[in-house]
Amino acid sequence: MRKLLLLGIGATGLVGVAVAQTPARTPAQLVQARQASYKQIQGAMKGLSDQLRAAEPSLPAIRQHSALLARLAPQVSGWFPAGTGAEAGVRTRAKAEIWSNRAAFRTASVNLVVAARRINAAAAANDLAAVRAALPTLGGACRTCHDQFRGPEN
Amino acid sequence: MIADEEAAPPPRIRVWDLPTRLFHWLLVILFAVQWWSGKAERIEIHVAAGLTLLGLIVFRLLWGLFGGSTARFSHFVRGPGAVIAYLRGRRGPAIGHNPIGGWSVILILLLLAVQIGLGLFASDEDYLDTGPLAHLVSFESARALAHNHEILFNILLGLAGLHVLAVLFYLLVRRDDRVMPMLGGTRTEVAGAEPLRPAPLWRFAGAVALAGGVVAAVLAL
Repeated sequence: MRKLLLLGIGATGLVGVAVAQTPARTPAQLVQARQASYKQIQGAMKGLSDQLRAAEPSLPAIRQHSALLARLAPQVSGWFPAGTGAEAGVRTRAKAEIWSNRAAFRTASVNLVVAARRINAAAAANDLAAVRAALPTLGGACRTCHDQFRGPEN
Repeated sequence: MIADEEAAPPPRIRVWDLPTRLFHWLLVILFAVQWWSGKAERIEIHVAAGLTLLGLIVFRLLWGLFGGSTARFSHFVRGPGAVIAYLRGRRGPAIGHNPIGGWSVILILLLLAVQIGLGLFASDEDYLDTGPLAHLVSFESARALAHNHEILFNILLGLAGLHVLAVLFYLLVRRDDRVMPMLGGTRTEVAGAEPLRPAPLWRFAGAVALAGGVVAAVLAL
């Protein structure tokens, strides 16, 4: 029992250290981090689209891009904690509707996850035709959300 | 006397061959299509019309070398001396593009070629609406080209407006209709001016085939 308790305290301590080592991030840092993540999504989208346009698409590259999309897509809704809108103090195109219309934003991010998982499943199965067929839905998920929740470029 | 004049309309001479007129009006239609489809973000239409425009411009460049006499660059690209003389009101007996209009044709063709080139590589913010060659450049380059594509469109729109104003100037001030000749191919006779010497049909077929080949080659990149 004492051992268990000690173990428990030890584990709690470890978690505490781990939490302490992850510095609390300011809203501005969160905005910049999500912008960097969106850049990754953008890069994967271009890589995927370009491969599908190529005369001989590379399946390993397609699998890699699709896996990244499927990994990042479920994180998207978590990139927008309260306070990371225009009030964060750095330039962000995130519109206030993300927080005022949380349900619609949630739906949009779920659509992204579904589309990204579908394309990743097709890529993992090396099914080029299915990847090709899944891309418009994925692009549509990006576009629908951006049209509603992203402000103008400049 | 007056009745006689009405009975016998002034003789007309050929000025523009059919390929040149077709080029002109297809360009007008496609320019409008691109304006609309660009603003409305109808990318499939925009790309299809853009590729058609690419073929059209290549055709016009070939026609400027091998086409009917008035379509040829050698017929209307004039040196600064001729331009200044024209501006001073010294006009020889001539039909077709005048020395100023000739240079505006060159400028418009050149800028259209650049505009099409930009569009081939351009991309929207999400790499969803892209030109057929966007895969050959980085995302950042594709975006920069898209911005220039937009700026150059506004310049082209200004040039199109200037062109229409010039045509109206000739029509209303000079009493010289430039629209009907571009539609029907003939104009009232100009004393001493040599009429159009048309090019044979095989050259038209050849130029169209070559232009189509260029579009196909671009799509294969």
